[in-house]
Amino acid sequence: MSLKERGMQMKSSINYVRFSLFHRFCHFLIIISFFGLVLTGMPLAFRSYGWARWLYELFGGYPTAGFIHRICALITFFAAFIHFLFLFICVSVQKRKGFFWGPGSLLIQPRDIFDIVGDIKWFLGIGKRPDFDQWIYWEKFEYLSLMWGTLVMAVTGLILWFPVQFTKIIPVSVASIVDLPSIALIIHRYEAILAAGFIFTIHFFHTHLLPEKMPVDEAIFTGKITEAEFRHERLSQFKRLESQRQLENYKVAPPSLFVSFLTRLFAVPILITGLLMVGFMFSALLVWAI
Amino acid sequence: MVYKSEKSLIRENLSGFKKFTLGALVTLSAAIIGLSPAVLTAGDNGPCIECHTKPDKLKTAEKAKINPITGEIKVVSMVIDEVTFKASAHGGEDFFCIDCHQDLDGADLTDGHKPNLKPVDCITFCHDDPADEYLQSSHVKLMKEKNKDVPTCKDCHAGVTYHYTSLGEKSPRDVPRGTDPLHRKLTIDSCGECHQEYLDSYRNNAHGQVTALGHTDTDVPVCFDCHGKHKILNSADPESKVGKERILETCGSCHANANASFVKHVEHPQIKNLNYYRKLLTAVKNARSNPEDLKTLLKNPQTILCVVFVMYIGILAFTFSAFGLHSLLSWFAVARDELKRKGHADEEQH
Repeated sequence: MSLKERGMQMKSSINYVRFSLFHRFCHFLIIISFFGLVLTGMPLAFRSYGWARWLYELFGGYPTAGFIHRICALITFFAAFIHFLFLFICVSVQKRKGFFWGPGSLLIQPRDIFDIVGDIKWFLGIGKRPDFDQWIYWEKFEYLSLMWGTLVMAVTGLILWFPVQFTKIIPVSVASIVDLPSIALIIHRYEAILAAGFIFTIHFFHTHLLPEKMPVDEAIFTGKITEAEFRHERLSQFKRLESQRQLENYKVAPPSLFVSFLTRLFAVPILITGLLMVGFMFSALLVWAI
Repeated sequence: MVYKSEKSLIRENLSGFKKFTLGALVTLSAAIIGLSPAVLTAGDNGPCIECHTKPDKLKTAEKAKINPITGEIKVVSMVIDEVTFKASAHGGEDFFCIDCHQDLDGADLTDGHKPNLKPVDCITFCHDDPADEYLQSSHVKLMKEKNKDVPTCKDCHAGVTYHYTSLGEKSPRDVPRGTDPLHRKLTIDSCGECHQEYLDSYRNNAHGQVTALGHTDTDVPVCFDCHGKHKILNSADPESKVGKERILETCGSCHANANASFVKHVEHPQIKNLNYYRKLLTAVKNARSNPEDLKTLLKNPQTILCVVFVMYIGILAFTFSAFGLHSLLSWFAVARDELKRKGHADEEQH
């Protein structure tokens, strides 16, 4: 969809809030840190390929790329910290309900099972696209795997950062069977390939590069969606808010064309970089297989 | 093949001394009598350089050299690069070609010297210190006990030669130094020529992956940083740099406060070595008849690494096939709906 068409669409429709400023800021932090981590770390995993050497040198080689990697790791820690602080304040201080159970929860709910079955029917052309609520099951899966993945990468990354200090706490008899830094390296390397591959293919194609969104789903950057999008993607939530007479609270002015332009200016190169990375990684798999 | 006899030189490194005395006598007498300049004497590189910088003046401009260990044949040019030579450790004012090529001392050059020179003896008169350490190494022990072909000086210090190779490329480095990044990088390959399996596993480790990307400065260890330079001993030997007694000191030279648990680190993970998996499978198969084998393998830290690796390969394969299929299907379903919607919109317009 061209920028002009998109602008027209947003101006001629009622717009609703999809993501608050806090969530957009967190997503931005994660983009910056994730790309920093992938671009400086992935060359090590694909060390025998020319592109890996080129990329590693581009980020300053050893040890500079390593410093950038650690700075980005600290940004990730910060993002995770403010995320859980936000959750804590919402749940314990503001006593807001519905984070752990209900239609607005990011945790798996019974209705997700029906959604999965409905979705598969739709894929095969024997049913209509199911009506989803605030979070679609694969979005929940992405969120939960991000949480799990961050934990795994953080723990193994810290072991690799401070190998001497971490081995100090385990006795010699255990250390001669369980080699903590080596295990951490293997997990860190393959969990990274899993995470980067997942974000650059599955997250990108599920969210940003869909035929109806191409080139980018602006909602996570501008925070706003049109009524048509709301009804099309999350009819169940729309109807729920309508019946609870809360829909009014979500209405906002459409984003300016300039904000949409900035979104694309930022997101398109990032998406292309991710696709290139996954292309390089996949080519390595082909080289290995052939 | 001339190369090969270097081994015997090390064994009988004293016999060279006699030749040297003889050579010195000839030189001395030549100097006193003042023979014609056609006879090569010490103190002058001129006659050598005169021919060995011009290929058309040489009878044989190129020679084949066979690596006794790998069998690799290299065509080496007899043309000397004077600039490289002068800049090298052996290129000083008081150093001459015949100091190394001693069998040319006093040679008659009127019709050119004899074609095949003796291999240079580095040890006897000059480098006896590192040689002494080298002679105690596991490599030499293997040579003495099992008569195996093992690396000698020039296999590692290949850059000492000042000859061009046939491709016109200069020899990589004239002075091998443990601190020189290029030399460090080349030693990884030299060790790997024989110890391929260990090179492969080193590449899977945190250290090896950095050096694979081309960074071989002293802040990342290459083979000899851990295994030693001249006195390389088998890791089972407690006196080895990676042996029980010295490992703490070796790791500690980079990792301050290295502790007894830290040095249990596996520097050569077998995660991509099929033979290790075969061994594991056989041990599991024979678990009843021979439980000891399995017990030893389970106590080997490599086993956990292999299990974690296989687990991750499984997770990767499952995730990308399951969710890859899901994204593809959902992408096409969206595209299908979009086309339908556009179709309807067009119909309404007409």
